[in-house]
Amino acid sequence: MSSDFYTVSILPYSGIIIKICRAYTDSQEDFEDYYQEVCLQIWRSKDQFRGDSKWSTWIYRLSLNICLTLIRKKKKTRQFFNSDAIDHTEEGEENTAFSNENLGLLYEAIKRLSEIDRAVILLYLEEKPNKEIAEIIGTTPNNIAVRVIRIKERLKKILDGKIN
Amino acid sequence: MEKSIESIWKEGFLQKNAMVVPKLNNLYNKKSIHIIDKFKRMFKINLNALVVFSFVVLPVSFFVKIPVMGIMMFILFNVIVIINKRLLKGLDKIDKNVSSYQYLKSFDTWMQEQIAINVKMSSYIYPYVFIAMVSGFWFSNDIRETSNRILGNYQPDMIYGMPIYWMASMFVIIILLAIFGGRIYKLDLKIVYGGLLKKIAELISDMEDLRTE
Repeated sequence: MSSDFYTVSILPYSGIIIKICRAYTDSQEDFEDYYQEVCLQIWRSKDQFRGDSKWSTWIYRLSLNICLTLIRKKKKTRQFFNSDAIDHTEEGEENTAFSNENLGLLYEAIKRLSEIDRAVILLYLEEKPNKEIAEIIGTTPNNIAVRVIRIKERLKKILDGKIN
Repeated sequence: MEKSIESIWKEGFLQKNAMVVPKLNNLYNKKSIHIIDKFKRMFKINLNALVVFSFVVLPVSFFVKIPVMGIMMFILFNVIVIINKRLLKGLDKIDKNVSSYQYLKSFDTWMQEQIAINVKMSSYIYPYVFIAMVSGFWFSNDIRETSNRILGNYQPDMIYGMPIYWMASMFVIIILLAIFGGRIYKLDLKIVYGGLLKKIAELISDMEDLRTE
């Protein structure tokens, strides 16, 4: 990947890539691997961008799809080698990536959601309109609106009493 | 008052360290070593499976009274394993301390040599397998008796005591297997290692693009 492409076309959107990768990983090492893989796939697929949507929307969609693929692959590998490992890591690890404690707790709560709900709430928190979220996820704006309310209620329940 | 998740999100990401961008440089190193290690693992597992299979085939062939086929297959499988284990030693010699591109290219060179040797061997292996099977049935009294019962009084045309049409058909099959053995091997290879080899080719092509960009 040329450094020009990275600097001009990926780096300005690294924020969302970081946020998405954090939501789908449990350790710093995994996070860095996912981030690198997303950047590589964006570079590889850049010729497939036809301009039907904004470049940022395309990056969101691609990042989410890559993270979902990686997380599924990882689950399969874990199940193959040790079926117990999944529960231990998912419940046992704490997110130490953020110095802001509240943000760390929010991420922990987000990670308890289903894979798709995680994607929806990340896009919502990034203030993407329901129409764009629906386009990325592949559903209707109404469905997204209802889903966001439900997810926020779930997050509030998980975070109840934990947030300062 | 309790904070909303929207405000936690916004405030959290205002802090600088929440958005540290990871470095990209290590990706290809990790990927290339991971893919080649995966190939090595698969290759070793398949060779070991072949050894186990040969030791299963041998007693089973005696049990079902086609020992000639069992012995011939046992020899064949173990010869394939010995040759490929020797080839594998060449793979272990590849230096991991070189750049990812050189590492992948060395692997690719090794792979092509390995494929070329196996393609040549396949021109003999597949006819050999066919001969082993035919011999197994030919020398099995039980199978001969069964076929005699099925065929009844059928007498094949004989020349110098040999069933000439049967022999000619088998000869044609052996020649065809010798000609297409290499292609059959490549098809086998594609089925077993196709996905992995495609990934390696993509990785090399990516890195070549990188070098020219």
